[in-house]
Amino acid sequence: MFLNILYNELKLLNRSKWLIILFSVILLLFTFASYNGSNNVSKRLSDIADVKKEFFEKDSVMLQTLYKIKAGENIETPYWRLPSEPMIVGNQYPRLAIMYPESLSFLSTGQSDMYTHFISPRIYGNNFALDYSEMVNPVQLLFGNFDLAFVIIYILPLLIIAFTYNALSKEKELGTFRVIASQPISTLVWLFHKISIRFFVFTFFTSLILVINISIFSFDKFLLNSNLFGLLLLLTGYNLFWFVLAFIINIKVNDSSKNSLTLIGLWLLLVLIIPATINQVGSSLYPTPSRLKMINEIRSINKENESQQNEIMDSYLRTHPEFVQENNESQFGFWHNYFASEKAMEEKTKPLLQDYDSQLKKQQVLIEGFRFLSPAILMQQSLNKFASTSELHYNDFKKQVFEFSDEWRNYLIPMLFKNQKFNIDKYDQLPSFKYNNRIEHNIWLNVFIILTINIIMLFMFSTKNLEDRSV
Amino acid sequence: MLNIILKELNGFIRDGRLKIAALISLILLIIATITGVYDYEKSNHQHEQSTLKERSIWETQEEKNPHSAAHFGTYVFKPKFALSVFDYGVTNYTGNSIFIEAHNKNEASFSKATDQTGLARFGSLSISFVLLYLFPLIIILIGYDSYTKEKEQQTYLLLKSQGIHPVKLLFGKWIAIIIPIFSLTVIVFISVAILVSNNEAFTFFNWSSILALLVLYLIYYIIITTLTILISSLSKSSGISLVSSLLIWILFSFITPKVATNIANYNDPYPSKSEFYAKIQKDKRSGLDGHNPWNEAAKKLEEQTLEEYGVETVDKLPFNYIGFRMQKGEEHEAKVYEKHYSNLKKIALLQNDTYKNLSYLSPFIALRFLSMDIANSSDNLHWNFSEAVEKYRIEKQKFLNYDIKDNSNYGERGYVMSSEKFKNLPKFIFKPPVLQDILIKNNKSLMFLFLWFIIPFGFLVIISKKI
Repeated sequence: MFLNILYNELKLLNRSKWLIILFSVILLLFTFASYNGSNNVSKRLSDIADVKKEFFEKDSVMLQTLYKIKAGENIETPYWRLPSEPMIVGNQYPRLAIMYPESLSFLSTGQSDMYTHFISPRIYGNNFALDYSEMVNPVQLLFGNFDLAFVIIYILPLLIIAFTYNALSKEKELGTFRVIASQPISTLVWLFHKISIRFFVFTFFTSLILVINISIFSFDKFLLNSNLFGLLLLLTGYNLFWFVLAFIINIKVNDSSKNSLTLIGLWLLLVLIIPATINQVGSSLYPTPSRLKMINEIRSINKENESQQNEIMDSYLRTHPEFVQENNESQFGFWHNYFASEKAMEEKTKPLLQDYDSQLKKQQVLIEGFRFLSPAILMQQSLNKFASTSELHYNDFKKQVFEFSDEWRNYLIPMLFKNQKFNIDKYDQLPSFKYNNRIEHNIWLNVFIILTINIIMLFMFSTKNLEDRSV
Repeated sequence: MLNIILKELNGFIRDGRLKIAALISLILLIIATITGVYDYEKSNHQHEQSTLKERSIWETQEEKNPHSAAHFGTYVFKPKFALSVFDYGVTNYTGNSIFIEAHNKNEASFSKATDQTGLARFGSLSISFVLLYLFPLIIILIGYDSYTKEKEQQTYLLLKSQGIHPVKLLFGKWIAIIIPIFSLTVIVFISVAILVSNNEAFTFFNWSSILALLVLYLIYYIIITTLTILISSLSKSSGISLVSSLLIWILFSFITPKVATNIANYNDPYPSKSEFYAKIQKDKRSGLDGHNPWNEAAKKLEEQTLEEYGVETVDKLPFNYIGFRMQKGEEHEAKVYEKHYSNLKKIALLQNDTYKNLSYLSPFIALRFLSMDIANSSDNLHWNFSEAVEKYRIEKQKFLNYDIKDNSNYGERGYVMSSEKFKNLPKFIFKPPVLQDILIKNNKSLMFLFLWFIIPFGFLVIISKKI
């Protein structure tokens, strides 16, 4: 019987041009979205190449000057800009911290349009005040990008709804339902087969086109690996969710208009209303402390530090006895006082900054919980993680830059306090930054969650249906 | 015609669709209003506190060299505007504090979106979110079968046989859909206006702005109503009519704006921050550096000044040349910033034009821009704020540099400005643009809304005679 239904269904889909329409629409949407995503990645790579070029040019100037100093040649640079001073190196020739895109970054823009992907932490300035935002027209952030994540999360469910909303009701409305009912198979099983066939066709198209797009637009050589398999399973799970919903609605409502209304209502609820409401409620429940308040506190600390410079320096030297100069303390200049104040500032602002992390983590936990309520949230989180464009990635990048900045300072500050000069021989010892993607994508967990949601929905529906029948 | 309207309205009341959709929208509006007002009051209070505290930090600083005070700098904060509680616009994506200091124009920092999770990209539940996305759906929901149901129930011929004029029938159905949606919208706007006008925390509120918003939203709903009825009159079945109307809604609200983002990015890409600042640094270096008396521009300025005052050395000038040079350096730097930021603004405007030009595909875009502009939560408002801050920064640097120029002697070491004098620095005041200017600047969006209002309606009247 299944083969019969399969044969007829494929024939019908083919005749009604659904197969060709579906394939063309998915191909067009996926390719356009991938192209856009790929353009964003190319822009990111091109910006990185520019900044690297500039960095190497600057470094070569520094190296030439250092060579001249070593050779005792005459130098035109004013003395206060000479790279033999560790603080000049720290401030004028900072290293470059780069966050390169990953091979699947084109999948989802995520937070990548908001943040910069390179930064040069200098020795002057607060680590926590480093500005990671990218220069962008805020209108673009408001409307968002037409990327693959958008197509998968928003558009695919709508295509599924259009593909399935009248799977049963159409037969009723055309008067062919009686013929089906006269067959030696229950309507439920018949519809299940019919929807299953459509699900396999749809998933085959989306998976095939996704794989083709990845092989074209991924800038790394495309490799068949378990992650890709996980991604395809996740997509299948998301498709399945909407097909299961369509199956249930077809049985329960069984009227074309009402089916489409109900399904669109669910789409609206799951894709638009729940995420927007959780975001709004989450921000109100776990608000991050006001940045304005933070600015006020830092400014007050700055002002306070100005008047307590001597005490701060004493306290700094007590915790860093290795920096105490044996000859005369009064030789401490601007930079010495600055670092002592910075350390004091860091200590005083630590609790405030921890508040930001803790509130953001609470918001994150809230979202993790709501993955179970809206598969759209689960998909967004998963695709962003897969593309390495989630807020977790950018927060971790900030963390790694923060750590590197400490390393940079710890290398140069002792030279300042010990009155040592920087020279050409030390160039290779300068710390360098390498971004390490430490965020796990948890793809298998998310696949498990979405499949479990589907199984629960089907189980609940079949139990209810059996109960109804017993009645 | 009145009978048709009453019959249709009765149908809506009997049918549960309108009740359910209106109830859900109402619940969402209440959540949006409560959270919006709570956030607004909190941010506004923080803004007031921060402004006072920052001013007090500035006024109570110890006596110091004016240029040190210029480097110590000060923060200015973007005020909250009453109607931003209605439409958040781009406020979540723009910072609300700018640090002003010597030599540098800084960007607004700490946008709310950077302190939120990625979920923020789904959008925030605000009053305008419900009005922009959900109210059009209510229209589709009650109007998709306005003609198809007559065809499906075979009552259309009956109506025709009664001699009813097709245009009257059309107007009857059209008005019947408009009545509930207009009533709901007016209730929402009146509630918001009463809430906002009676709360002192909501500053810069004016009735004409909220009235303009109401009119624009109503025009948008008329457009959606006309299109829904048009689709229904052309469709063979209610299912097709519903799916087609929804497709239009998705095209308007999601697909076109997002496609516009990619087109705008492709045609007029923004420079990266590092590229932008590198160009500024290059231009700054090529001109006068207030700190460096040996660079070429500084030497030239010295020569010109000596010649102008007819003296041989700078110490013979009737003012402290260091303060004068510092100010000239600031003026050069300000010009560099002005040049580069005006180029950046041009790119932003070109990008916005791409969106606005695509309003011929989606009236949603036209309304979106108008709504956030009138609510003072748009990128235009942010540009105005940034420009006002830069103007204030230049005045502040002049105030400090001229203190050196006029009150200290050339070569005098350890000159300090008294604490009292810091209080004489004028305060930063920012006022939003008036409604008339906003509407003039948005003439293109207004024109597109008008065209969307007229063309489908005319088309519908023609079609109705042929059904």
